[in-house]
Amino acid sequence: MGLMHKLPPIVDPLPGGKTMIDAVSYIINWARSNSIWPLTYGTSCCAIEMMAAAAPRYDISRFGSEVFRASPRQCDLIILAGTITEKMAGPLKTLYDQMSGPKYVIAMGACTISGGPFYYDNYSVVKGADRILPVDVYIPGCPPRPEALFNGLLMLQEKIRKTESLRNTWHEHEIYTKPATNTWSDAAKAWDALEKIKDQEQAEARAKFKEENPDYQAFKAVRVVAPAFPEVPRKPDRPRGKSNLELWKLIQAKFPGLKLYKKELGDHEVSDTAAVEALGTDYTLDFEVPVDQYVALATFLKQTPDLSLEMLLDLTAVDFTDHFDVVVQLLSVTQGQKVFFRVSLPKKEVSPEEAPTAILASVPTLSGLWPAANWKEREVYDMFGIDFTGHPDMRRLFMEDDFVGYPLRKDFVNPNIIKRPY
Amino acid sequence: MDLSTTNFIGDLVREYSPYSWVASIVNGVIAIVAIMAVGVGPSPMLIWWERKVAAFTQARLGPMRVGPWGLLQTVCDVIKLLFKELITPHGADKLLFFLAPALPLTGSFLVLAVIPWDHNLQVANPGMGVPFIIAVSSLGILGTLLAGWSSNNKFSLLGALRCGAQMISYEVSLSLIMLFVVLMSGSADVREIVLSQQGNVTDWWIIKAPFLGIAAFVMYMISATAELNRGPFDMSEAEQELTAGFHTEYSSTAFAMFFLAEYINMVATSALASVFFLGGFLPFAFPDFGFAPIVGVVASINGALAILPGFFWMAGKILFLITLFMFFRWTYPRPRVDQLMSLEWKFLLPANLILLGLGAVFIAFGLILP
Amino acid sequence: MEMVKRPLPAGFQKVSGDDNTEEYFINMGPQHPATHGVLRLVLRLDGETVRECVPHLGYIHRGIEKQAESETYLQYVHLTDRMDYLTSHMNNHSVCMAIEKAVGIGVPDRAEYIRVMVLELNRISSHLMMFGCFGGDLGAQTALLYGFKEREVITDIFDELCGARLTMNYFRPGGVANDIPDTFIARVKKVIVDVERTLEEFDRLITGNVIIQERSRGIGILTREDAIAYGCTGCVLRASGVPYDLRKDDPYSIYDRLDFDVPTKQNGDSFDRYVIHIDEIRQSIRILQQCIEQIPEGPYRSKEKPSYRLPAGSYYAATETAKGIFGTYVVAEKGDKPWRIHSRSPNFANLSPIGKMVKGHMIADVVTVITTLDILIPDIDR
Repeated sequence: MGLMHKLPPIVDPLPGGKTMIDAVSYIINWARSNSIWPLTYGTSCCAIEMMAAAAPRYDISRFGSEVFRASPRQCDLIILAGTITEKMAGPLKTLYDQMSGPKYVIAMGACTISGGPFYYDNYSVVKGADRILPVDVYIPGCPPRPEALFNGLLMLQEKIRKTESLRNTWHEHEIYTKPATNTWSDAAKAWDALEKIKDQEQAEARAKFKEENPDYQAFKAVRVVAPAFPEVPRKPDRPRGKSNLELWKLIQAKFPGLKLYKKELGDHEVSDTAAVEALGTDYTLDFEVPVDQYVALATFLKQTPDLSLEMLLDLTAVDFTDHFDVVVQLLSVTQGQKVFFRVSLPKKEVSPEEAPTAILASVPTLSGLWPAANWKEREVYDMFGIDFTGHPDMRRLFMEDDFVGYPLRKDFVNPNIIKRPY
Repeated sequence: MDLSTTNFIGDLVREYSPYSWVASIVNGVIAIVAIMAVGVGPSPMLIWWERKVAAFTQARLGPMRVGPWGLLQTVCDVIKLLFKELITPHGADKLLFFLAPALPLTGSFLVLAVIPWDHNLQVANPGMGVPFIIAVSSLGILGTLLAGWSSNNKFSLLGALRCGAQMISYEVSLSLIMLFVVLMSGSADVREIVLSQQGNVTDWWIIKAPFLGIAAFVMYMISATAELNRGPFDMSEAEQELTAGFHTEYSSTAFAMFFLAEYINMVATSALASVFFLGGFLPFAFPDFGFAPIVGVVASINGALAILPGFFWMAGKILFLITLFMFFRWTYPRPRVDQLMSLEWKFLLPANLILLGLGAVFIAFGLILP
Repeated sequence: MEMVKRPLPAGFQKVSGDDNTEEYFINMGPQHPATHGVLRLVLRLDGETVRECVPHLGYIHRGIEKQAESETYLQYVHLTDRMDYLTSHMNNHSVCMAIEKAVGIGVPDRAEYIRVMVLELNRISSHLMMFGCFGGDLGAQTALLYGFKEREVITDIFDELCGARLTMNYFRPGGVANDIPDTFIARVKKVIVDVERTLEEFDRLITGNVIIQERSRGIGILTREDAIAYGCTGCVLRASGVPYDLRKDDPYSIYDRLDFDVPTKQNGDSFDRYVIHIDEIRQSIRILQQCIEQIPEGPYRSKEKPSYRLPAGSYYAATETAKGIFGTYVVAEKGDKPWRIHSRSPNFANLSPIGKMVKGHMIADVVTVITTLDILIPDIDR
């Protein structure tokens, strides 16, 4: 150890006040800044622009950064291309930890800077990548153009050249650990105060100007007339396949008690058949079915050759505060007609404290009839907390298993949500 | 050939030193330095060249910013890699983990040792050069296998197993093609093989053995690409399937060693191809076909070409072959691992055996070009 | 020695494997070069053969549907840009159609033609991207970059049209945001020439390549019945032999005035799913050529409203995007904000049969299947 402490003061100084270590540091920084290998990482839109930056038109290889490594061990830079969600935050942190230092982070796009378009009223997006990783360079845009990415890359190069790479191993910034608060509205208040001062100063300046030039006459601004657009009558849809009336007659022959679902009709004051005809082709046949007939009706719709609604287009739910509607959308790819039907599920009575986290309704599964229903029902379970009895694999689809609450319910509360102030 | 006639410095030391072991050591050191220079020296240039070739294929520019035409790009990369953090993954077998990157380099250095670079430029010339090459080139497999095994990573292990299977398989056909050349030239001595191709272009084995030569060369290139683990046969890395294959867990210097080994291997393999098929260090010479009016012109052109030293010709041929390898990599998609294996065992191996048989027949009936 | 029994990863059914071999699990994703984003596949492997594959979603679940409930209808249009960003015009179109249907807004002829041209350009650009990814994921990096190179020409048009390269937000209820620039038609004509040349190039580089054919023929076969049962739409459905295309079968906009075919293939394997994209581009070019000839003069949108309030009820509109049927289901109560908006994303349904498709194939084939399904994870997770 003795030598290690004594040697540097002897070897280090160079003539002219510089030190040896600075020269070495300069070379290392030069090498590091010109050879930044990014990680192949992208979550959404920005990833396409990142790839476009590597493509012939823009060509990131000019800066020596075209070596996109798939293994985090071998890369220097992680370009956070795309939204980071709470679920992805863990794996992303792991990726960053797996990278070998010195490592740099570029936050590409609005989502990684602050949450961007997903800042307000959102429960799953991380509001800024700097809450989980130390970010070196921020590139605004949604998504930023490849040129902007290059600008960010060049700024990172400049930053690397200016760090003292040998004395500090590599600099890690502090991570922004405060809980997500509505920083924007605070900023807006400060902005308002500034604006007021500015207005006042301007008024004073204007008054002074008037005093000095009493004869001054301002130019009158000419308004550009906004183009006027005509009202155009709407052309109704022209769907192929059986008409709503034919379908409705076929279904009513088997299930006579069903009611049409159309809010404007005002609880079926007109007879259903006439209503169907009056609604025209823009309307897709949509009716309510009691829970006990739900599976029987689905089976009928799928297996009747006249209807042959063999494709489950979608299965989703709506929370009407007092009850859930599970909406099933069916399509016949051979004949062309569409049929929607819904089952109304009253919410179970539970105490107000338990309500947000409790499963409030259940309905039989359709995954035996359509394999497509498997994931759709898992999604509904995940988002609404509706249980599908008989489902082979009832797990959450999107959120983590320990996520509290069911996001698409109207009574859902989450600490991550920042309410829009206006 | 005796070493003493090729080594001027060795002679000098032997003359003035009372002990013979001094000469041996000096000779050894010189040999090692020479191999290092030949192997490691051009590698950064080759990496730069590869990036430029890739850029050319993909309608891009390639590195432009560091030095003229980005020539210093690889220098940057190497310095950066040397000063990066060296990570040993949790649960890795430390000894094997750091031994693995050294092995592929060793194998290719040993191959480089027996390559004749010029008439009087060769580190060692064992009489059984070809079997020696076949033996030592297998060391690379060991490195990859160890790397995959010791990393404690499933992707690495999969990559290593793929690589092991692939390299051992393609070693077979590579050896058979080498045997074919040995059969043609009648010697297992690398130097003799080169000297057996003296004359003009038609005396190179790629043309001298009618049809068989070109077939053998094509199969050599396919097998060598697989043996090098380069695209399109880069099963062991297969970025889209196994992230980075056997070297997923390697960072910094250890990764740089693998990176370097790939290019040194490429130099060694291309050098062998040039020795076996393209006349090694012999200069390019046009044939005159005994056609009287052009004999004089051809002779003078050939004379002019022969002024360039053998080392230059060797390097030129190697660069040509390496560029060929690079174009392969940036043009073709990757076959699946089982398809690659069936290509070897169901097509290349039988074809090579037939080639060997036909070669023997050609020799026996004197069908080789004069 | 007794083996340590570890619990099976989530989603796996207990099936005992072969006694002679030991099966193991491998995580593909969420960060993996070939999963087109942050899809996570857990594979149960025997050697390199996939015994079972369980996808895990939600790594890019951004809660768009919840967020939409506190934004106006028009604000939802820009959120759909960010779902399937390769087909953002088509997603916008779907939402605008739903609003038009609910409020009863008509679209002038010129606006319809502009819309269709823009949609078809977007379809071509998405398909070109698919070509690139297909080549790239099979190991031909150059093909990936070639796909991008050609795509840039179309991106330029969008750039000039609406100022954005990817997330356009160009459609409005009743028309489009602004008229096409003077250069638009000329540029489209150039694109047609360029793309036709590109198709020939790709045919030579990829379609005819032996390795590509070996790797994609017979891989990941999706039968006609499975494709329908899993709700697959778009190219995936048509490659399995079902000639269903919303543009023909439920013609929206002015597609019923245009002359084009719906290409189908019968095998439903990866190669068919790839080749059908080429045929679709050819049809898109036909549509573009007709639009260039027929486009009339006139207003580019109908009378705009200060805010769009949908009458209470539920509305559905769907478009055929480059990936499949993108449906927008709107439930409106009072006010200018939706009570609930649900987007039926085509990729969600197209990905769902993957467990069945890759069973018994190898790891490399998983990549082939993912890339030919042409999925995009942000659209699946929303």
